[in-house]
This record gives sequence, structure tokens and C-alpha cells, in this order.
Amino acid sequence: MAPELSHEEILRYSRHLLIPEVGLEGQRKLKSSSALVIGTGGLGSPVALYLAAAGVGHIGLVDFDVVDKSNLQRQVIHGKSTIGKLKVESARNKLLDLNSDIQIDIYDEPFTSENAIRIAENYDVLIDGTDNFPTRYLTNDVCVFLGKPNVYGSIFRFDGQLSVFDARLGPCYRCLFPEPPPRGLVPSCAEGGVLGVLPGTIGTLQATEALKILLGIGDTMVGRLLLYNALDMSFDFVKLKKNPKCRVCGPHADIKELIDYEEFCGVPGHDHNDEGSAGKDRDITATELAERCRSGKLVLLDVREPHELQISALPNTLNIPLGQLAGRLTELDSAEDMVVFCKAGTRSTRALELLISAGFKKVKNLKGGINAWAREVDQELPIY
Amino acid sequence: MDMPIVRFPALMKFYVDNQIEFPCMGVTVAELLDNLVARYPALQPHLFEPGGNMRRHFNIFVNGEHIRELNGLDTPLKNDDKVILMVSAAGG
Ligand SMILES: [Zn+2]
Repeated sequence: MAPELSHEEILRYSRHLLIPEVGLEGQRKLKSSSALVIGTGGLGSPVALYLAAAGVGHIGLVDFDVVDKSNLQRQVIHGKSTIGKLKVESARNKLLDLNSDIQIDIYDEPFTSENAIRIAENYDVLIDGTDNFPTRYLTNDVCVFLGKPNVYGSIFRFDGQLSVFDARLGPCYRCLFPEPPPRGLVPSCAEGGVLGVLPGTIGTLQATEALKILLGIGDTMVGRLLLYNALDMSFDFVKLKKNPKCRVCGPHADIKELIDYEEFCGVPGHDHNDEGSAGKDRDITATELAERCRSGKLVLLDVREPHELQISALPNTLNIPLGQLAGRLTELDSAEDMVVFCKAGTRSTRALELLISAGFKKVKNLKGGINAWAREVDQELPIY
Repeated sequence: MDMPIVRFPALMKFYVDNQIEFPCMGVTVAELLDNLVARYPALQPHLFEPGGNMRRHFNIFVNGEHIRELNGLDTPLKNDDKVILMVSAAGG
């Protein structure tokens, strides 16, 4: 039996109670329902704000990150005053300020194969707002195994995707993407950027779908995928069907329990900026590089996109964007010492792999990229 | 001449002169992809594995239907068919 609403709640939700599709009964349903928001970043911000405002009685937030200044361009649940604080705590404070009649549970830990089932089994619906492939595959498989809907959204630059994956009724995420992209082919938002309002658009659509699922109204996005492009303001809807070869929800599924998702995807389960390391013997730190520059000839290869050089640049460098490197190797001399760098070390690590496989031996990776140089060597340079 | 319209995700438009949508010849999906790669060679490693198979994080829809539900790469195309190329994105 759904809980009663207090007079305060009736006033708070009066605009819902006026809609026949929601009404008193629907609002009580929302009060007794629960949603797990995975990630409190760009997508998780609007999702959590709108679900809390709508009166979803129990909201869970999973994130192990802390608020960074570069988050505030889009992660509107956080603020200047919570920079450096845990995202889940920052988000909970904002949500309880918006609506203290609901219960917020926070999980200050990465969402992993070890804890995912234990956390997720308490919720009616999962909302995928993560920033990395391993957690997306994990969220999908958890939903398939527990028989729960997965409200999916993802963003990059000007493009957004939205669907509801529910293996009981239609396809799952793996039906569409049997395998993650090979490492390096699909840049993340930390590498490639994202229009700040884009997660607002996709996140509010995810919140809409979650509310419809919890209320049991309307037609959800099960079996459909929205491809949104903000640049030409286009909304393309395509149909999705179950993939008979799906390894997790198909008739011959061979994945029956959670696996090691970082290994499956070949990338870490987060989208952090400052981890660009090619391994101890292939890295050079910014401080070491500054020393090395004084002691002889060295080629500095900048593999960032040309527009990034307007933000910050080093003198006397050669700029070949990573995407062009394979076709421009003839411009490089493998006999010379070379240090490759990018913004934070992710792209340069891939460039290094490419160079080494092409026979270059005297190459190193600037650990942490030009941002590390800005921190350690030249504080005049901005960090981005 | 049959000229379907092809749409690219933001992730890949830098390999096609920054276009989102443009006409491209091809009487089948396979032929359209061949023509695209001939015009924009940088696309090749994004669309195909080294062995020549289409990459599996990559989906193609013709007029809103996944080509898996149609005739795969042999799906016939006609004038003004809308071919959407789509890749997975992890951003959130
Ligand atoms: Zn599936």
C-alpha cells in the first residue's frame, strides 16, 4: 500500500496532483519508489535534482569523485562552496535543501562487480550517468541480472544518446554494443570536451523516462534510441531490437555473472584527467623534462588538436594531432630523442604506443601532459 | 544516381571535413562505406577492424532500422535514404 501524503506534501506536489496521469495515486507511488543514480556528474546532476523535486521517495547516489572547478561548467548540482568535497555529499546537501521529505542514500565508492548487486538490489530503477565504459557495461549487466530497467544516457561534445534498456521487455546495452571500442578510438569528455548544457538536455530526458517507469505511464524508450545533435538541433529516433547473439540477455548468453569490466574494456572505470602515464620506464615528469631541455637537442611532439594550442602551448614544438600521427610518421626522425605530450597524458600515451610499434625507440611520454608542466614548471600557463 | 544521405556522430565528423550530414553514393550500405573511405581514408580504422570486419562498437541504421534487422551490409539503398552511423560514447 502506497504511503499517504501529508498536507505539506500535497501542497508541494500540487502541480503533479493536477495531472490526471499522475494524480494523488501517482504521487504516492513516487513516494514509495526508489531510483539509483550512478554518477553525480553532468548527467547525474539534473537527474537527481528532478527526481528529488518530483518526490521520488528514496534516491541513491553512487560516486567516489570530489568536486573540481572544471565540473561546474555542467554539473549544476555542485557549487563553488563544495569544490574539493565528495560529490555524493555535495549532491545530497543540495537535494535535501530542495526536498527534505525524501531519503537520500549515498555510496562514496566506485561502482564495481563487488558492490554493484548489493547496492542496486534496493532500487526500482537504475540511471546510468557514468563517464566510462566499464561502469556502463557493469550497470547494464547488473540490470539484466536483477531484472531492472536501465535508463541510459551518454554525451560527447554536441551529441547525446538516450534509451531505456530493459532485457525483460527489449534489448540491453550489450545488444547494441557487444564490445567496447578499442582503446583510443573514442575519446572521453575529459579529453574531447562537452557542451555544458548537453548533459542538461539528456539528463532531464533520463529523469523523464525514470519518472514514467516509476509511475507506469506513457511509452518509454524501451526498444528505441534517441540520437540528439545540438549543433543542427536534430532528434533522430531509431529502433532497437534484442540481439539474438547478445552474450548477457540472448538465448545463448554465456555471461551469467558480473565480470572484470576494466579488463573487458581495457580502460579504467573512471574518466580522470591526470593519470596519463605510459609506465615508469616510458614516462618523463615535467620537472625532469625541464631539466632535460637544458641539456641538449630534443624533439617535443604535441599531439593535441590545433585549437588547444590557443589555450596553452610550449615553445619549439611539433604539432601533429593524434588522429593524423599514423599518416605523418615520415615527418619524424626515429634517431632523435623525442618527448610526446598532450593535455594530460592520455592521448600521448596512445601516440607513444603507435610510435613504438612503428620502430621508434627514443621516445618518452610527458606524464600528466602540459597540465603537469603548468603545475610543476611554468605556473604562468593555465590548466584546463 | 542513387544518393542516400549519411549522418555522422560528432565523434567522427572531424574525419569528414567537419560535416554532420551529406549525400554519398552507394546502392548498398557496403558500397556507401567503400565510397566514404575512398573519399576520407582517415575513416578506415574507425569503421573497420584490421581484418576488414566492421567494428563492433559501431552501428548503422537505415531509415531508423538497424541494418542487422535488414540485410546487413548488403542492405540496398535508394535516393534520399537516411543512413545514420553511430558509435558508442561513454561521456556523462
Ligand atoms: Zn542484450
